[in-house]
Amino acid sequence: MLPLFTVILSFVGALAVGLTPPERLRTIRWTALITALLGLITAAFATLQYHIADGGYQSVVSLPWVASLGIQFKSGVDGISLSLLLLTGLIAFCGVLFSWDIEHRANEFFAFFLALIGGVYGVFLSLDLVMLFVFYEIAIVPKYFLIAIWGSTRREYAAMKLVIYSFTSSSLIFFSLLALYFGAGLNTFDLTRLATEAHYSQTFQIVVFPIVFIGFAVLAGMWPFHTWAPTGHVAAPTAASMLLAGVVMKLGAYGCLRVAIGLLPLGAQHWAQWIAVIAVINILYGALIALVQSDFKFVIGYSSVSHMGFVLLGLATLNITGLNGAVLQMFSHGVIGALLFALVGGSIYRRTHTRQLADFDRLIDRMPTIAWLFIVAGLASMGMPGFSGFVAELHVLIGAWQQPLFPVWILVVAGLGIIVTFAYTLIKIHEAFFRRSVTANDPAHALPEKYPPLTCPETVALVVLIAAALGVGLYPKPLIELINSGLAPLVAALATGAVTP
Amino acid sequence: MNYSILLTALLPELFVVLSLFAALGVDYGLLRHHPLPTRSRIAASIACIGLVIGIAVIIGQMLWFAPRSLGQDQIVLTSLTLGAKALLFGLATVVCILSADQAPNTHVSEYYALILLSTLGAGFLVCTENLLLIFVALELVSLSLYALTAFNKSSRASAEAGLKYFTFGAVSSAFLLFGLSYFYGVVQTLNLHDATLAITSLEAIPPLLRVAILLILVGLGFKIAMAPFHFWVPDVYQSAPTPVAAWIASGSKVAGFFVLIKILQPVAITPSTKAIWMGGVALGAALSLLIGNLGALRQSNLKRLLAYSAVGHAGYMLIGVLSGTVEGMAAVIFYVVIYALANLGAFGVINLVSDRNGLTADIQDIAGCWKRSPLLALLTAVFFLSLAGIPPLAGFIGKFYLFFSAIEAQPTIAKWYEGAYWLVGLALLMSAVSLYYYLRVLKVSFVSDPAATPAPIRVTSAEWICLGLLALLLITSGLFPDPIIHFIRCSLVG
Repeated sequence: MLPLFTVILSFVGALAVGLTPPERLRTIRWTALITALLGLITAAFATLQYHIADGGYQSVVSLPWVASLGIQFKSGVDGISLSLLLLTGLIAFCGVLFSWDIEHRANEFFAFFLALIGGVYGVFLSLDLVMLFVFYEIAIVPKYFLIAIWGSTRREYAAMKLVIYSFTSSSLIFFSLLALYFGAGLNTFDLTRLATEAHYSQTFQIVVFPIVFIGFAVLAGMWPFHTWAPTGHVAAPTAASMLLAGVVMKLGAYGCLRVAIGLLPLGAQHWAQWIAVIAVINILYGALIALVQSDFKFVIGYSSVSHMGFVLLGLATLNITGLNGAVLQMFSHGVIGALLFALVGGSIYRRTHTRQLADFDRLIDRMPTIAWLFIVAGLASMGMPGFSGFVAELHVLIGAWQQPLFPVWILVVAGLGIIVTFAYTLIKIHEAFFRRSVTANDPAHALPEKYPPLTCPETVALVVLIAAALGVGLYPKPLIELINSGLAPLVAALATGAVTP
Repeated sequence: MNYSILLTALLPELFVVLSLFAALGVDYGLLRHHPLPTRSRIAASIACIGLVIGIAVIIGQMLWFAPRSLGQDQIVLTSLTLGAKALLFGLATVVCILSADQAPNTHVSEYYALILLSTLGAGFLVCTENLLLIFVALELVSLSLYALTAFNKSSRASAEAGLKYFTFGAVSSAFLLFGLSYFYGVVQTLNLHDATLAITSLEAIPPLLRVAILLILVGLGFKIAMAPFHFWVPDVYQSAPTPVAAWIASGSKVAGFFVLIKILQPVAITPSTKAIWMGGVALGAALSLLIGNLGALRQSNLKRLLAYSAVGHAGYMLIGVLSGTVEGMAAVIFYVVIYALANLGAFGVINLVSDRNGLTADIQDIAGCWKRSPLLALLTAVFFLSLAGIPPLAGFIGKFYLFFSAIEAQPTIAKWYEGAYWLVGLALLMSAVSLYYYLRVLKVSFVSDPAATPAPIRVTSAEWICLGLLALLLITSGLFPDPIIHFIRCSLVG
C-alpha cells in the first residue's frame, strides 16, 4: 500500500494547488514542494521496506476495477520500479525548486506539474496493463499545457508535436494491449499473470513485439521517432524539460522493458539485433547533431537522445549485465539530464536571457559557480568515472560484448558515439564558458561583469542532483542489487525461452 | 388490451404530454403580453417539470415492475429501454435549461413543445420493437427537429440548414420506409422478434432481403451521420440554434443507434445473413472515421468541428455494431450514452460563450476562457478530453470497450472486410488525429489570451448545475464504469 501513496499524494497535491487562488504564491509553492518531497520520502521508505532477498513484486494491492473487461486495479513494486520511483521523486522535488520563480498562473502550473508526476508514478507502479496505459495517457495531457502555456521557442508547435507523437505511439500500445489480452486467452490484463501463464506462440511474439516496442520506444526518444524530444525539451519551461528528460523518456524505456521484453521474450530475442542497430544510431546520431547545435538547450536535447541510445542498447542485450546497465542508465540519465536542463534552461538562461552559444562571452568569469557546476555536470554526462553515467554505460557496453548475437561493428559505432560525446561536451563547454563572444564588441550585447549568484532553491536542487549522480557513481552497489532483484525473473524467463541463434 | 396496464406503462409519456400542453396553454393564455425572457423561462420550467416527473416515474417503473411488453412488442419495457428513456428525458431537460435564457424567436412555447415532441418520439423509438412504430416515432423525432433547426427565423443560415436537413431527411426516410416494406415482404411480420425467427428459419437468403437491408442502412445512415450520408451534418450543426444542435447530437443520436442495433438484430444471428450488411457497415465505418476526423482538422467553427467529430464518432460506434455480438451492442450503447453526455456538455459550453453573446461559435469565442471563467474552462476540458478518449474520463473506457468487443468478435469473422483488426487500427490512428483538433479548442481556451474586450460569460445557476452534473457523470463513469457496463450487459441478455 505504501508505494501507492506517491500517486495519491501527487494527485491530491495537484488538486489542492489547482484550487488555491493564483495570488497566494507562497502557499502554492510550498504546497507543491511539500507534496513532491513527501512523494520522494514515500518512495524512499518503500525502497527501505522492500526485501531484496525475497525479490519479486511486493506491497501488492489488488482491487477489482472493471471486472467485466478483465481490468484490475493492481499495483506493486519490484527493484526496477523502485529505482524509477526514487528517480521520479528526486526530479519532482528539484523541478519544483527550479520553478520557484514562476508567477504567471502559478497554481495551474504546479497542478499540471503534480498531475504529470502522479501519472508517472502510476505507470511505474501498475501491474495491470490497462492501468499502466491509463496512467501513461494521464501523463500526456499535462505535458501539452506545461509546454504550451509556460514554454518558450515555438512552444505551441512543440507541445502539439510532442502530444501527437505520444498519442500516436500510445495508439500502437492500445492496439497491442488488445492483442496481448486475446492472444493469451486468460481474460485478464494482469501483467504478472500474463508474464508467467500466457505462453504466447513464437509467431505471435515476433509479430506483436515490434508494435509494443515501437509504441513505447517513441517516448524513449528512439530514432527515427525522436524528433519530438529536442523541440519539446527546448520549448518546455525548465521544470518541464527536467521532467521530460528526467522521467517521461523513462516511461517509454520502462514500458519497453516491462511490457515488450517482459511479456514477449521470444519476440525480443528475434528483434534484439535490430534494436541494437537503432540504439547505436541513436547514440552516434544524437551526439553528432549535438556537436553542431548553436542553441545551448538543443545541445542538451540531442545529448538526451544520444544517452537514451544507451538505454536501448542495454535493453537489446537481453542479459543481466546489459539490462542492469539500461535501468542504471535510466536512473543516471534521469538525474544528469535533469541537472543539465536545470543549469542551461534555468540557471544560465534566467541570467543571460539568451541560449545562443555565440552570444556567450567567457561566462566562466561572469558566473563562475554556475560555470563550474556545469563543467561537473558535463563531465558526469560524458561518462566520467565517479559519476553514475560511467557505471551505467560500462554495464551496457559489457552487456553488449557478452551478447554473441551482436556484430562487432555495433560496439565500434557505440564507441565512436562515446568519442563524439567527449567532443561535443568539451567543445560546448569551451564555447559557452571560455570563448570570447562571437558577436562581442557590440554594445547592445554588452554582458554584465558579474551575474547574480545562485538563489537558495537553485542551490538546493543542484546540490541534490549532483549528490545523487555522484553517490550512485561512487557506490553503485545498493542500486545495482535493487535493480538485479527486479531483473532476475525477467532474465530467467529470457533464458528458458531462449532460441539459439 | 387492458387500458390500465397501458396507462401505467405510458405514464411518463403522459406527464410529458401534459407539460407540453401546459407550456403552450400557459404561454398563450396568460403570458401573451409578458417580455420574451420571462415567457421563455416559464415555458422551459414547465417542460423541465414534466420531464423530471417523467424520469421519476420511469425510475419507479424500473424499481417496481417486471420487464413487460405490450401489444405484441409495440412497447417493450425492460430495464434497458426504461433506462434509455430516462436518459433521453434527462438530456432533453438539459437542452431545455440551456435554451431557457435565450429565445430564438417569438414562438417561445412552440420551441419547447417541439423539443418535448421529439423527446417523446425518441422515447418511443428506444422502447418499441415494431417496424411501423419505429418508423412513426422516427418521423416524429425528425419532423420536430426539422422545424427546430429552422427555428431562428431571422437567420437565413438557419432556414437554409432547416431546408437542407428536411430534404436530406425526407429522402432518407423514404429509403428507410422502402427498405422496411421489403423487409416486411420477406419476413411477413412487423414484429422484430418474430422477424428474427422468420429469418433464422429461411433456407436461402432471398435477394429482396439484401435490397431491404441495404436501403435500411442508407436510411438510417443519414440519421446517425454515417459517411457518405453525412453531408447535412456540418451545415445543420452550425446553423441550428445551439441547444437544438446539442439535442440533435445527443438525443437523436442515442435513439438512432438504438434503432440501428434493433433493426440489425434479426440479421445479426446467422453468419450468412451477417454477410449481407457487414461489408457495407465496415465501409461506412471506415469512411466515417476518415472523413469525420480529417474533416474536423480544418474547421475553425466550433459547431462545425463538433459536427465532423460526430461523423467520426459514428465511425467508432459502427465498429461495435459490426461485431454483431451482445458484447458489441453493449459497447455501442455505453459509448453512445457517454458520447451524448460529453457532446451535450460541449455544446452547452459553446452556447454560453457564443450564442448568448450573439456570436457565431468561432473558435476564438472561447479564447482566454481560463481568465474569464476558470470553472467553465475546466468543464470544457472535461467534455473535450472525454470526446478525445483521454483516461480517466468515460470516453476512454467507451473506446476501450468498443475496440475490445470488436476484437473479441474476431473468431466469427471470415472475410477480409469483416476483420475488425484493420478497422480498430484505423480507429486508433484516427483517435490520435482527433486529439489534434480537440486540443486546439483547449489550446484556445487555456493558452490564448482573451480578446481585448471579451464578451462576458453569463451562466445561470441551473446551467452550472447541468454542466457540472454532466462533467461529474463523465468522471465517475470513467473511474467506475463497471456498474454501468454490467447493467447494460445484463439487460441486453435479458
